[in-house]
Amino acid sequence: MKVLVAVKRVIDYNVKVRVKPDNSDVDLANVKMALNPFCEIAVEEAVRLKESGAASEVVVVSIGPKACQEQIRTALALGADRGIQIETEELPESLNVAKLLAKVVEEEQPGLVILGKQSIDADNNQTGQMLGALLNRPQGTFASEVKIDGDSVNVTREVDGGLQTLNLKLPAIVTTDLRLNEPRYAKLPDIMKAKRKPLDVKTPADLGVELKNHTRLLKVSAPAERQAGIRVASVDELIDKLKNEAKVL
Amino acid sequence: MAILIIAEHDNSTLKSATLNTVTAACQMGDELHLLVAGEGCAAVAEAAASVAGVSKVLLADNAAYGRQLAENLSLLIAELGKDYSHVVAPATTTGKNVMPRVAALLDVGQISDIIAVEAADTFQRPIYAGNAIATVQSLDSIKVITVRGTAFDAAASTGSSASVDSVSPAHDAGTSAFVSEEMAKSDRPELTAASVVVSGGRGLGNGENFALLESLADKLGGAVGASRAAVDAGFVPNDMQVGQTGKIVAPDIYFAVGISGAIQHLAGMKDSKVIVAINKDEEAPIFQVADYSLVADLFEAVPELESKL
Amino acid sequence: MSDYKHPHQDAEFVLNELVGFDDLCAANGFDDINFELASAILTEAGKLGSEVLAPLNVIGDNQGVKLTERGVEETAGFKEAYQQFAEGGWSSLIADEEYEGQGLPNVLCTAVNEIWQSANMAFALCPLLTQGAVEAIAHHGSEELKQTYLPKMVSGEWTGTMNLTEPDAGTDLAAIKTRAIPNGDHYLITGQKIFITWGDHQMTDNTIHLVLARLPDAPAGVKGISLFVVPKFLLDAEGNPGVRNDVKCVSVEHKLGIHASPTCVMSYGDKEGAIGYLVGEANKGLAYMFTMMNCARQGVGLQGVAIAERSYQQALDYAKERLQGTNKDGSRFAIIKFPDVRRMLMQMKSATEAMRALAFVGAAEVDRAGRAQDEADQRRHQARLELLTPIVKGWITELSQEITYLGTQVNGGMGFIEETGSAQHYRDARILTIYEGTTGIQALDLVGRKTLLNKGEALAELLAEIEETVVALSKHEGFAEQGAALREALEAGNNARNWLLENAAQDPAAAGAVSVHFMMLFGYLCGGWLMGQSALRAQTLLDAGEGDPEYLKAKLVTAQFFSEHLLPRTKASLETILKGSASIMALSEDQF
Repeated sequence: MKVLVAVKRVIDYNVKVRVKPDNSDVDLANVKMALNPFCEIAVEEAVRLKESGAASEVVVVSIGPKACQEQIRTALALGADRGIQIETEELPESLNVAKLLAKVVEEEQPGLVILGKQSIDADNNQTGQMLGALLNRPQGTFASEVKIDGDSVNVTREVDGGLQTLNLKLPAIVTTDLRLNEPRYAKLPDIMKAKRKPLDVKTPADLGVELKNHTRLLKVSAPAERQAGIRVASVDELIDKLKNEAKVL
Repeated sequence: MAILIIAEHDNSTLKSATLNTVTAACQMGDELHLLVAGEGCAAVAEAAASVAGVSKVLLADNAAYGRQLAENLSLLIAELGKDYSHVVAPATTTGKNVMPRVAALLDVGQISDIIAVEAADTFQRPIYAGNAIATVQSLDSIKVITVRGTAFDAAASTGSSASVDSVSPAHDAGTSAFVSEEMAKSDRPELTAASVVVSGGRGLGNGENFALLESLADKLGGAVGASRAAVDAGFVPNDMQVGQTGKIVAPDIYFAVGISGAIQHLAGMKDSKVIVAINKDEEAPIFQVADYSLVADLFEAVPELESKL
Repeated sequence: MSDYKHPHQDAEFVLNELVGFDDLCAANGFDDINFELASAILTEAGKLGSEVLAPLNVIGDNQGVKLTERGVEETAGFKEAYQQFAEGGWSSLIADEEYEGQGLPNVLCTAVNEIWQSANMAFALCPLLTQGAVEAIAHHGSEELKQTYLPKMVSGEWTGTMNLTEPDAGTDLAAIKTRAIPNGDHYLITGQKIFITWGDHQMTDNTIHLVLARLPDAPAGVKGISLFVVPKFLLDAEGNPGVRNDVKCVSVEHKLGIHASPTCVMSYGDKEGAIGYLVGEANKGLAYMFTMMNCARQGVGLQGVAIAERSYQQALDYAKERLQGTNKDGSRFAIIKFPDVRRMLMQMKSATEAMRALAFVGAAEVDRAGRAQDEADQRRHQARLELLTPIVKGWITELSQEITYLGTQVNGGMGFIEETGSAQHYRDARILTIYEGTTGIQALDLVGRKTLLNKGEALAELLAEIEETVVALSKHEGFAEQGAALREALEAGNNARNWLLENAAQDPAAAGAVSVHFMMLFGYLCGGWLMGQSALRAQTLLDAGEGDPEYLKAKLVTAQFFSEHLLPRTKASLETILKGSASIMALSEDQF
């Protein structure tokens, strides 16, 4: 079974974002970029499936400008076999991404597509589900456990209040939650090898997908800062303040 | 055109997140229809019919929808949604699971996790884990939206007497099946809906010590949460996690006990009305966002607080 | 406890703009290696360093190591971290591909090593020593020795140690007493070695000791010392560790810093004699050690950069968080707003950047000298390497003392309290001016072998190159003052050189008496030179709209700061140098 993993280049988890002074967007000029953490978990899961014998090949795909090849290389260093970059100038909206991925899925015919549940930039949490709908495939979102069982897969999902396990017929879509696995550190020899693994570049036109805007970004602003309050000296003072000042007790 | 709201429920009770979503939808248009899709969920439809502002309840009672499977539910919602200007759901794990499928089936985009409605087609939503707020305009004829419940007040659960219409289509994609679930059993309110949340961090030292917080929460009728550090340390299960990667809460009072206040944690609770921080480290960053800061040993302060309330 | 984040922007700036990494790779036969790959390697190493090694740093300091019946027990958690490190292939960066190494340039290994050393210096000493042992065997050992030991040392499966010092033979290795008696295909080694870093531990299933010892018929003094491989466990027929060799750690030292790095007293041959194998030819051991000296000493210089960076990061975090001032409206502000705290932080930041620049530029000379195709080129780079090495080791480690001192100072009273982590960096740094040749030894090397021996030629070439940067700065309107400052420092360097060449012959104490000032002068001058180049490169990038403007603008400021606050120290050094040895040598020993 082939596994396709979609990954996204996003701002590094540790970088604090700054809103541009003209409120047009956040300032991403020259900030450190990295593989989206949820996507890293997706790569790890796919590689583990391969290591366990459940998967035969791991193909990683990313959509964006040439720079996103860096993240594909990272995924290759973590153990993916080959990469596909779909070259676009900007990062397309989720539905466009899903449509591009659907075309890749038609070409590659993977048994499982694994994606991060959301990217830490737009925080949309949409692409995997949209891909599922476009392909009419079942989905196991927010996965904390993935077990291949013959021609189906059991996915345990992190849902409000607990865990839910679904059985999905393959081919299927999985989106990862944080606790699905702990991604490995890339090994030096694998980083070196990743340079030589195949990486195809395609365009949306190659795939016959026309990108369309569904939303317009009007403004990006910084959230209201919360001001530090006061120190209380004792539990008694705290209770007094909560009762008489904040009036929440 | 009317607005279709997807009710959150467990086949027996209507979940409060629906009420917050109704409030958000009110700001997008006047005519609100509430879809209750499930199995044996007539009681939910009845409750839904009395929610203030709702003019019609659609009841799709069918085994295919009993477990809220996204594959089936999305087909139903997309079919019904064609005739609406907005299709709106709470940004719960159920809403997040099903709505993007609906959007894709309708060939429209989705606007996720909105925190404010500026106009019928324009919304605010947090991006970058709440470190920026985007104002986004939808260009689609049907707007598919999920709503962050904590950003909107709950609509009154009574006051209306809407009609309940059964809708017939039963979609069963036949590709997914429910196997099992493991729900945390608790008499406490759900984290995201509780008016009081008592959260603990690594400072608690171990899972047993969370009993201190539980008894404080019980006294206040609140829920118990945790920081990611406490979850990662194995003190408590992940569904208790408050933060960027866990639950987003905005209660009336949030107690942060033994939590240092990593930015990822703040992202999950900074919209709380009043934040109380108890920590023995007076340099802890949590004190920079807390309304009331108590520098104290939590093992003394928490029992004292509980006994004096 | 403090977190560590790799300063990837500065490391990449130095590699790109000062070292010219892509050109270096292309010109020296590092096919397939380029900056993009280097950047990916640094990113991944940075993760392992920050997330796995750095959190163990304070634990190692608190818990240290224990000597038990099993031998030395390292700090809990180190074994797992080491295995992760080795499995990640990080021990194999530099070694030849023939022995399962990755064959990467020394300068890239240096940039990666900075991460390990910053994250956890006590831990990082273990692979650093292994790397040294690998080089010794690779350069001088027989093919059989190489095939037997290198692959597993390169993979990190086994670690290596260097056994030079004895109770009576420290700086003066001619006094070595450990004996090696020929016995069939091997030798029996008897004697005691001290100060053996990571001499024993339980992290791997074998440790390969490289030991200096004397053969029975060896000539006296430095020409009678041979080098031996002595494995902790003798290898069986399949090459796996078998019988325990007659070598053991008999004591571990209690130290001021690097508590997690076991400093062992090693005893060889308590029973029948430890079995050892000769490396290369007899009596050439010390000469072999010298071939590795540049790398080893530069490696310690790099530790100075690393500990300074870590101390700076801790101090910066503290300065941003510590509220200790009150605004008019009653709100409080952090101490980073105070000018004197700024001065300290700027001094730390600016000096650390200059140190990193020199460490990487020096490390690149190892690649250029070792790989240059053209003989003249090779000689030129070898001379520069030899010249820079004592400056890299001596100046950087001396300056790292001041930086870690400032780090503690920024923390105020809390700096004296262990829990901030600042004190650990201060203590850990202290070894750096001592081991691998003290500051005094480095300074003597610089004035003696590296200057007087070649009549100041190597230094003259360096000074001429610095002159080019002076000219470039002076031509640029925005850098005229920096250009002038560098020119004054350059003149101080020229004067110091001339004074030394003129006075060393007449006054036998002159060179030794001024040597440390001489070395420090050239350290600051090299720092000013590289920071001047950095400013020029940063401005060029800014003008072209390339790179991160915030980082580049900050670089302009750190370069200016260096020029204004640190470069003038060259003049003070010169003043002292010009006074010669008189007051240093005047007292009789009784008068002390």
